[in-house]
Amino acid sequence: MNTNNIFLPIIIPLIGALCALVSFKKLRFLLESSAFVIAAVNLILAVILFKENISLNIPWVLGLEFSLRLYHFSAFILLSVAGFGFLVTLYSLRFLRGKEYANQFYGYLFLTLSLANGAVLANNLILMLFFWEGLLLTLFGMIAIGNKNAFQTATKAFIIVGISDLALMLGIALTAYLAGTARISNIHLPLDTLGSIAFILMAIGAISKAGSMPFHSWIPDAALDAPLPFMALLPASLEKLLGIYLLARITLDMFILTTHSAMSTLLMAIGAITIILAVMMALIQKDYKRLLSYHAISQVGYMILGIGTAVPVGIVGGLFHMVNNALYKSCLFLTGGAVEKQAGTTSLEKLGGLGRNMPVTFICYLITAAAISGVPPFNGFFSKELIYDGALERGKIFYLAAIVGSFLTAASFLKLGHAAFLGKRSEENKNIREVPLSMLIPMIVIAATCVIFGVFNALPIKYLIQPVLGEGLLEGHNFSGFPTNMFLVAVTVIVLIAAFLNHLFGVKKSGSGLHASDHIRNAPVLVKIYDLALKRFFDPYEWGLKFSRLLADISWAVDRSIDWIYDKFSVNLTYSLSRQISALQSGNYSLYVVWSLVGAMLVFVLFFIK
Amino acid sequence: MMHTLVLFPFFALIILNLPLRVIFRRLSFWVVFALSLIQIFLVFFPQNAFWGTHFNFLNTFFRFNLSADGLSMVMLLSIGIVTLTALLVARQMITDSDRMALFCSLLLIAMAGMNGAVLVRDIFSLYVFLEITAVASYIMIAFDKNIFSFEGAFKYLVLSAVATAMMITAIALVILFSGSTEFYLINYAIRASAHTSLIVLSLGLFLCGFFIKAGLIPFHSWLPDAYSSAPAPVSIFLAGIVTKTTGVYTLIRIFISIFGFNGQSQRILLLAGIISVVIGAIAAITQKDFKRMLAYSSISQVGYIILGLGCASSLGIAGAILHIFNHSVFKSLLFVNSAAVETQTGKTNMDEISGLGEKMPVTAVTSTLGALSCAGIPPLAGFWSKLLIILALWVGGLHVYAVVAILSSVLTLAYLLSIQRKLFFIKGNSEENSQIKEAGFGISLASTLLAFISLATGVFFPFIINSFIVPFGKIFGRF
Amino acid sequence: MNLHLVILIALIFAALWTVMTRSLIRSAIGLALTSAILTIVMFALNAPLAAVFELSVCAGLISVLFVSTISLTHPLSRQEILQHMKDRLTRFWYLPILVAVCAIILSALDIKFSLKLPAHETENDVRVVLWNLRQFDILGQIIVLLSGVFGVVILFREKNKK
Repeated sequence: MNTNNIFLPIIIPLIGALCALVSFKKLRFLLESSAFVIAAVNLILAVILFKENISLNIPWVLGLEFSLRLYHFSAFILLSVAGFGFLVTLYSLRFLRGKEYANQFYGYLFLTLSLANGAVLANNLILMLFFWEGLLLTLFGMIAIGNKNAFQTATKAFIIVGISDLALMLGIALTAYLAGTARISNIHLPLDTLGSIAFILMAIGAISKAGSMPFHSWIPDAALDAPLPFMALLPASLEKLLGIYLLARITLDMFILTTHSAMSTLLMAIGAITIILAVMMALIQKDYKRLLSYHAISQVGYMILGIGTAVPVGIVGGLFHMVNNALYKSCLFLTGGAVEKQAGTTSLEKLGGLGRNMPVTFICYLITAAAISGVPPFNGFFSKELIYDGALERGKIFYLAAIVGSFLTAASFLKLGHAAFLGKRSEENKNIREVPLSMLIPMIVIAATCVIFGVFNALPIKYLIQPVLGEGLLEGHNFSGFPTNMFLVAVTVIVLIAAFLNHLFGVKKSGSGLHASDHIRNAPVLVKIYDLALKRFFDPYEWGLKFSRLLADISWAVDRSIDWIYDKFSVNLTYSLSRQISALQSGNYSLYVVWSLVGAMLVFVLFFIK
Repeated sequence: MMHTLVLFPFFALIILNLPLRVIFRRLSFWVVFALSLIQIFLVFFPQNAFWGTHFNFLNTFFRFNLSADGLSMVMLLSIGIVTLTALLVARQMITDSDRMALFCSLLLIAMAGMNGAVLVRDIFSLYVFLEITAVASYIMIAFDKNIFSFEGAFKYLVLSAVATAMMITAIALVILFSGSTEFYLINYAIRASAHTSLIVLSLGLFLCGFFIKAGLIPFHSWLPDAYSSAPAPVSIFLAGIVTKTTGVYTLIRIFISIFGFNGQSQRILLLAGIISVVIGAIAAITQKDFKRMLAYSSISQVGYIILGLGCASSLGIAGAILHIFNHSVFKSLLFVNSAAVETQTGKTNMDEISGLGEKMPVTAVTSTLGALSCAGIPPLAGFWSKLLIILALWVGGLHVYAVVAILSSVLTLAYLLSIQRKLFFIKGNSEENSQIKEAGFGISLASTLLAFISLATGVFFPFIINSFIVPFGKIFGRF
Repeated sequence: MNLHLVILIALIFAALWTVMTRSLIRSAIGLALTSAILTIVMFALNAPLAAVFELSVCAGLISVLFVSTISLTHPLSRQEILQHMKDRLTRFWYLPILVAVCAIILSALDIKFSLKLPAHETENDVRVVLWNLRQFDILGQIIVLLSGVFGVVILFREKNKK
């Protein structure tokens, strides 16, 4: 195959983006069909390229090289991106019908696909940074076309991601300096002092793209303000894929991460904290999309935890979880979109009993919710077991955090399902119907994939994930099939049963599915923490805003005082001095003579001072 | 050739005041006019054969020891220009032809006195000619004969008397240690002499005397009163040239021709200069009277000249001399403008006047040019001389003085521009201003000429630096 | 030298009295006294020509001053005299101090008054000196006199008319 074909995944979506941006509103059919065709072509291309192994290095401006590399890992991510891109496009065809911003959305979507493909294929750190920063712009654009508050949220996302991208930029500069080259496939650095700094900086870029804490706070806001397909595409799947892809690249290839390294522990700690805190926030949400968005954050914790373990089982688990999460999280968002489209709201207080109206959506929700909670035999169960295995090997505390996260995840999805699809149906919701087929197909496809990846987990693990690690790291292990450690399975089952019992207890206590988690919400210590969290007390962005406002106030005060010195103080001083001097001019000539004589004295004194 | 510059005004004075005055009275304006033009012409063409051949007979009768170097030439040029200006303005403002003739006579006396002071090479003759100028000035200040002008004249008289006493004592001391009054003989005596304390005493007395004449702070107190109470043409004459000749020129002359510099005298000059620059500028800011403000501005500008002298380098002295010339031009210009405002509105308090720009365009434009030149804004003349002085300060290692001088020039800009804005460019009371017209032909001609000189000196400075400034450097090379 | 010192001190006291006295007539008398003592000083310093000039000019000047003062003044009341005296004292309080300070400075400077004049001036007759060497000064003096005349003409003539 021609090596130039490697450009196609970048160029084809770019063409789509241009087409979408220039198309008129009246030509809706043309817009939608071209979007569908481009997305489909992109997917087919990814499938064709899947088995290829292409490397391309072209000298570029300023002594940089335009270096792309297609191999099994990037081909795998490329395929995933193309797949989600296609499904989200298919879903959006119906969802966005009649929305003003449709052509803009498609434009940004294909631009995102193009840039994401570029970032995945790039084999040069600086080239990758170029695509990476481009994604920042499309992120901003896609959020900003949402509702009224969207611009503010877009700014927030832009600032947070921008800051972490700055860290990535510094990390790339340091890495390129340490390695002496910017070609990714040639970089293998040990984690000494400088190496650790470079690693942390690049990891910040990666995990912030994936949406880990403490770079998460824009995601729940975007869930409410941005168009829904955006949530299904970016925070749920694409950003996770890219972020975890980069994290895997830096932990597996570019830096030599071992189990003894402090960096490994650091990553695991970040993962564990993200799991717990985000899922606790998810538990108390009363909005479909916002609840999901917190899970999008929480699940990243598992991946970071898995990759951070630096043992093969954990890494395989983390990568497998990345794929799984992308699947079920995007499907969950799509069900959320379906509910929004039909019921007109995503607030859980107004929903309820939709299961009978939208059976297919409900079934898809059930499958994916079970998958995210780690119920066997769905895909989430297997990836989580692998992560548990790795975490237990590194420390009981991380395992404990993962298990608690699992418990709360299950509890929150029980609550969500109960509140949205079961329970009493209000009068307004009686006439709600199932969503059209083009919106159902993506959900069904993804839900089916969840089942397939669960039951036949050898398929993805053997052919997609284990090659990433390579034989050297695997040491002949094979992680597919049913988990071998029966202790872990037993604990998982116990936890799931506990979560179900907890839900029943909560329902009995509060009387409704919506308030099933209130007893946790109102627990003695947690209630205060939750109150603070709801006031965004723990949002680093808010702290940043406060700090910058403080800085601005201080600068303003300094500016005012400097202004005062120029404007008031010096002028008044000069004026009063001037008046004093004028007042000395009294008109008494004998006084004038005295002055002159005093001056003469001074002259003589000055003469005799050497 | 040079003695004609003293003798012509003298003869003219005698002829115009013979018993046939009734006939000559009308001529007196044109005589002074012609004499000042001749003076300007002579400065530019000093070697013209006409003067050498036709007036040689005077040399056989009068044996004067006169000579002119670059410094004297610049002073002669300034004297010519300012006399011409004062004359034009006086013609506009003094309507009575009898009084005009008297004023012309006084101008001739002052002209002869200043020309003599600039040309002599003898310390006692210098004193005599300073006295001529001073006496003429007292009378000119009191020319209007109201209570204020008498007061101003009297203050000038008292302070000048103190200065005269100091100078005559200093001359006595000079004769004591050198036995001579010729500049070069005194200079030799100083180089050879052991009477250090006598020399210091005489130099100190000279300094104080000339500081009073130049109006440096704290010797300045007579100056604002005298300038503001004098009639407009006299203010022009006083501020433009009289104090410059009697105070500043003499200071430069005794330093470069007689005493030379040492550390102490340099320090005194610098301190007196910088204090005058700063306090003069600050005091100018709150003045309500246009002329009084210009008087303080004059103190400040003289401070710059003394700063340039205090550098004791040829660059600094060149800057000082150029600034004398520029100051004569732009300060005369500003006083001409104040005369225009005074004649047309009848007021001198700036709080009562505003928005004259539309009615008096020539005055507005020329005074803006004068103010910008005074504040040292390129490409006007004042910029170059201030630049030379500040450069000389910087090169001489006097960084603090240089910085203060630059900052004070911001103050200068502040008070001059605020007054320009107030008087000319904001909207005024249209009812009050409805009767106001542009000032008469003489005043407008004078202000236009001066503004043109100020502009031309600045724009053609690269030519001037070769023909004027570089020769200065050669003159003062020996110190 | 002692005699000189006494004469000088007398001169200074006379001058101070001239400035600080309360009435114009006494002031004029003080001026006459001062110039008389100055003449003595000049004789003592071996400058008879200068002394003669000083005496004659002063005699003329003082008579002019007497006439003008008497014509200008009117007798003061007792209170006015007291007020005036106080005024003078407050105005010129510094003059005696100034004289004392100057004396101290001059004595501290330790100036050697070697009054040996240069040879050519002592040999020449004063007329020769004036005409040959100080010709330009003479011209200047004439102009000063003229300007004095102009001053009187301009400042006093019309006043008399009115």
